[in-house]
Amino acid sequence: MTKLLKTMTLAAAFMGSTAAIAQDVPRIGAAVYGLNAEFMQLWAAALEQHPAVVEGKVNVTIFDGRYDALVQQEQFETMITQGFDAIIFVPIDIEAGATAVQAAHDAGIPVVGSNTRVNSDLLLSYVGSDDVQSGYMEARYVLDQIGCEGGVVIIEGPIGQSAQIERLEGNMQALAECPDVTVLEQQTANWSRAEAQTLMENWLTRHGDNIKGVIGQNDEMALGAIEAIRGAGLDVNDFAIAGIDGVTDALMAVKNGDMASILQDGAAQAQGALDVAIAAVLDGYEPMSPIWEQYADMPWNGGTDAEYNVPWTPVTAENVDALLEMRQ
Amino acid sequence: MTGKTHRQDFKAYAADYGQRYGILIALVLVCVALSVANEFFLTQRNIINVLRQASINGILAIGMTFVILTRGIDLSVGSVVALAGVVSASFATTSATAGIAGAPYGFYIAISIGILVGMAAGWINGILVAYFNVPAFVTTLGMLSAARGLTLLYTGGRPVPSLTPEYRYVGTGDVFGIPMPIILFAVVFIAAFLVLSSTRFGRHVYAAGGNPHAARVSGINVKRVRMMVYVISGALAGLAGMILAARTGSALPQAGIAYELDAIAAVVIGGTSLSGGVGRVTGTLIGALLISVVNNGLDLMGVESYYQQVIKGMLIVAAVMLDQARHKHA
Repeated sequence: MTKLLKTMTLAAAFMGSTAAIAQDVPRIGAAVYGLNAEFMQLWAAALEQHPAVVEGKVNVTIFDGRYDALVQQEQFETMITQGFDAIIFVPIDIEAGATAVQAAHDAGIPVVGSNTRVNSDLLLSYVGSDDVQSGYMEARYVLDQIGCEGGVVIIEGPIGQSAQIERLEGNMQALAECPDVTVLEQQTANWSRAEAQTLMENWLTRHGDNIKGVIGQNDEMALGAIEAIRGAGLDVNDFAIAGIDGVTDALMAVKNGDMASILQDGAAQAQGALDVAIAAVLDGYEPMSPIWEQYADMPWNGGTDAEYNVPWTPVTAENVDALLEMRQ
Repeated sequence: MTGKTHRQDFKAYAADYGQRYGILIALVLVCVALSVANEFFLTQRNIINVLRQASINGILAIGMTFVILTRGIDLSVGSVVALAGVVSASFATTSATAGIAGAPYGFYIAISIGILVGMAAGWINGILVAYFNVPAFVTTLGMLSAARGLTLLYTGGRPVPSLTPEYRYVGTGDVFGIPMPIILFAVVFIAAFLVLSSTRFGRHVYAAGGNPHAARVSGINVKRVRMMVYVISGALAGLAGMILAARTGSALPQAGIAYELDAIAAVVIGGTSLSGGVGRVTGTLIGALLISVVNNGLDLMGVESYYQQVIKGMLIVAAVMLDQARHKHA
């Protein structure tokens, strides 16, 4: 009995002490839409490697939203109950996320958006990249390659997602500059390599070598198109192909000369958002992530800007080896 | 008196004929319509495309046929596709980070590993269903979740890239111009056809599904048969996973999501009864081809992909209605 009591006292003391430690440093929660794909894995890894986390200045907990708006909402409720000091939010849905932001705001917890947008004016700040711009850049690359004439196909993301809507807007801006280019096909492959491969196989049957360019709204789908072209016994070099995100397979395809890709710097989005969140909690905090030096076009401004626009980096033969190195 | 019997015979015969060949007739009609509507449909290249696009779903659906014949269901095949794909690919990658120590290993090692992973998942399903009497729906739903989780744990959510040329041959190679996925699909089909039609195990599958009690009384080891069908389904899911990885060039942890639904659809469209004991693997073959032909045809005609889903849904329901009509007449 005494032994049991002793154990319990010890346990209580231990729990008390951990609680005390936890209270010393701010606790920041990161609610991300889902951790299944490579891009968000990189984002999450960068968050945990932020100097402030490594040095123990803040505690960071990552919540996997499992691609479900309701799960994310419940995770917000958990963070509010547990009294987190700030929340970084990467919502699955542009509309459904607003309720969660409202709840945190009502509880006095600042919310910093990152990577994907949410339709709410209660965000403290948003650290992400402009998808319209990337859509324009990739389409512009394809159009330049084919000399602003001929037929192209567009492989879209899931219809209605903010990245699909905005990248398409950018695609269309570039296409408007080339009136002699025909869009032969435009369909969704839901970000999926296998689906894009099937689509492209069928399109090649229908249009043959009238297809000069492939605008993939992400890298996975551009890679699927490349496999379809190879499968049909055609030469990938006869096509101008572009994707977005800079996933590892795409970096290797760029190195191989098969496609163009535009790197979305998820690491900078994650670390930038964390710096902004810490600044909201700790007075006089100076940003610790190296990204602010890396991107001179994105000034820190005391961490009070409503929006930080992480620049896109076109992946080229020159920088691809360095980028691949960083993935090891 | 005799006239009535004849008429009944004829009705039953016509219904059976309709059931047996109705889906084939539907496939032929759709093909004729598409070849009239689109000049590319009947080209050699497109026919190869359709067969290749049908092969992964077709292989899964053949495994599913065995399971459904015993009154079971295997919801885990999509996740097993991903798990077997990434594990076998990690033995066949030249990437230093994504591979297992010592990779790349030889072709046969990587392929055997993939089949074994599939069989292991199927074996767990089979043990739980046959010996622990856990409902197949629940068991394989659990495996759907667990195998996907293991896939993500194993890869950290990242694809396994840079597969060796030998490994990729399974998905991109060809023999006399016929792509490997189609050849493997054909081999699996012929083997399944022979097993079900002319082996003792095949007869036991039908018996165990048609009337388990009678099968048990007549000395068939029903539990063992029920376990084996899940091992077959798992092994074929493993094969399909490797074909998919070899085709797409990387083994993706997100691969195969919802593939179980298309596989079940092919089986049901092919006339195999969900209440077990009745069905043919030829029907499944035609069901898988029909799904691919419809998707391909609509792509060729530039129809939005959402219509493909609507049409597939109508096909499934129509096939089951046909099945019910037959049962009423029989």
